[in-house]
Amino acid sequence: MVNYGGDEVSALVIDIGTSSVRAGYAGDDTPKAVIPTSYGYHRTAPDADSAMQDVTEDPMNNPGTPKIAKMHMGQYGPTVWREGMEVANPMVEGLVNDFGPVAALMRHAVVDVMRCNPSDHPILVTEPAWNTPANRERMAEIMFEEFQVPAFYIANTGVLNAFAAGKGSALVIDVGHTMASVTPVVDGFVLRKGLAYSPLPQYVHAHARHLLVNPTPHRRGIDLFPHQLIANKLPVDAGAPPRFALREDRVPKTTQSWRAWSEAREVDEWIQSVAGVLETGWNDQAAASRPPKQYEFPTGYISYFGPERYSVGEQFFLHAPQMMSSNSHLPKTMTALISESLRACDPELRQVIMGNVVLTGGGSLFAGFGDRLSAELSRNFPHVKIHSPGNPVERRYGGWLGGSVLGSLGTFHQLWISKEEWAEHGKAIVGQRCK
Amino acid sequence: MASGVAVNPDCLEQFSDLKLKKKYKYIVFTLNADNTEIVVGKTSTSTDYEDFIKELPETECRWAVYDLEFEKEGAGKRNKIVFYSWAPDDAKIKAKMVFASSKDALRRSLVGIHLEIQGTDFSEIAHEAVLDKAQRGH
Repeated sequence: MVNYGGDEVSALVIDIGTSSVRAGYAGDDTPKAVIPTSYGYHRTAPDADSAMQDVTEDPMNNPGTPKIAKMHMGQYGPTVWREGMEVANPMVEGLVNDFGPVAALMRHAVVDVMRCNPSDHPILVTEPAWNTPANRERMAEIMFEEFQVPAFYIANTGVLNAFAAGKGSALVIDVGHTMASVTPVVDGFVLRKGLAYSPLPQYVHAHARHLLVNPTPHRRGIDLFPHQLIANKLPVDAGAPPRFALREDRVPKTTQSWRAWSEAREVDEWIQSVAGVLETGWNDQAAASRPPKQYEFPTGYISYFGPERYSVGEQFFLHAPQMMSSNSHLPKTMTALISESLRACDPELRQVIMGNVVLTGGGSLFAGFGDRLSAELSRNFPHVKIHSPGNPVERRYGGWLGGSVLGSLGTFHQLWISKEEWAEHGKAIVGQRCK
Repeated sequence: MASGVAVNPDCLEQFSDLKLKKKYKYIVFTLNADNTEIVVGKTSTSTDYEDFIKELPETECRWAVYDLEFEKEGAGKRNKIVFYSWAPDDAKIKAKMVFASSKDALRRSLVGIHLEIQGTDFSEIAHEAVLDKAQRGH
């Protein structure tokens, strides 16, 4: 075996989430490239891409996705309005569903943003705990065959997050853009039977959207036009109807998928600045006593949001009974996910991991989330201790950071799958090596 | 998943001195400077638990084994060897990552551990907390 000395291995780490793809050098404390996972595309090449600066790619030549004529990714990707541009996201429930665009996104992050040649660097990719064997093998195939990487490793985000918090055994609660998951990690391995996840954040998002677009007795339904479609607006008082003009030149040429994507962004923005959750559980009085928050939408419409902003966060923890009865397929709440996960663990282990709860993921930055979670857990368990990185960067990029440290270790490199091993053993080695 | 960090044979020798010859009360393990090997940081014969706690720095990670002695009700004196993973919240993320991913290598090579403690603050490794866990065990 080769003896790897120092820590200079110049590996790259790629962490793919539903909202963004994070890529950077192993050993760094933040990813160099963070690009949206959603991408814009044209079905057929437009005649002229007039005033738009295109910092984008070669057309996609993947036989699996022949309809795409041109992809728009990264900083000047979906955020730039283009005539007839559709927007798509290759992830479904936190897993890669469409590898064509994912390969293009990774290439964009590594080659165009980081200016690296992937064939010069070992690459470590992360995967959620519920990733399928077929998926990780496909990822390895793309890395070795398409990117020609010298070495590859795929690591579990649950384990990486536990390790990054300094724990071999932990209960990792990861709240992402679309998925919330609870993963028991024992001595550096995921306890598969205890894994629980649901598309809860997506449901919270839908709830917030419903709240905004539907009129209430004291507020009109809110238009979620993004700034790209607004020609001009005049200042109005809070609660007054907005006075704005749409860009009539753009509106008819805007695709459904772009509208949906941009409206979702407006909702996300609103959630991040206004929504919250009560720390101790729902209580009408407590919600009413909190100061309302003002928010201005791109149309110029201004409103104050009172107790309703707390009802959004409540969806993470408790489904309203009337919703439960009308819809049996609601995603499991955080509390349900946690108890489901713990049921699968034996009592002795339960005690250990409840004392070592690691809270991570961008969605966990939701205002009041950590405090509420801790209140919910201490109600049922005596010795709960939640470790959540205070630094929001560590929270959002926890999986990436863990991969970054691991990938920078000289000693870890004996575990990478090398190009030669791939050539000799093929796909089978991925499952053997990356446990 | 593991980091691939190796265990220096000295760790095992010192551990067996603690276990079989009762030569030490506790051993503190750490990583060498370039994070390639687990080495012995300190051995001690002090029976004062506070001395042991002082060996665990506030912002750095360590592992340790401690030969815990306690009275079991109606069954006399007992000794249990306790393994500590010390990773305070204020440690650097890199240190936490390397220590957590290397723990298994050390833990598996030490035979005869009765109890494992994962500590992030001093309350979790306090004498009463550890004693409580040791007594509850069989």
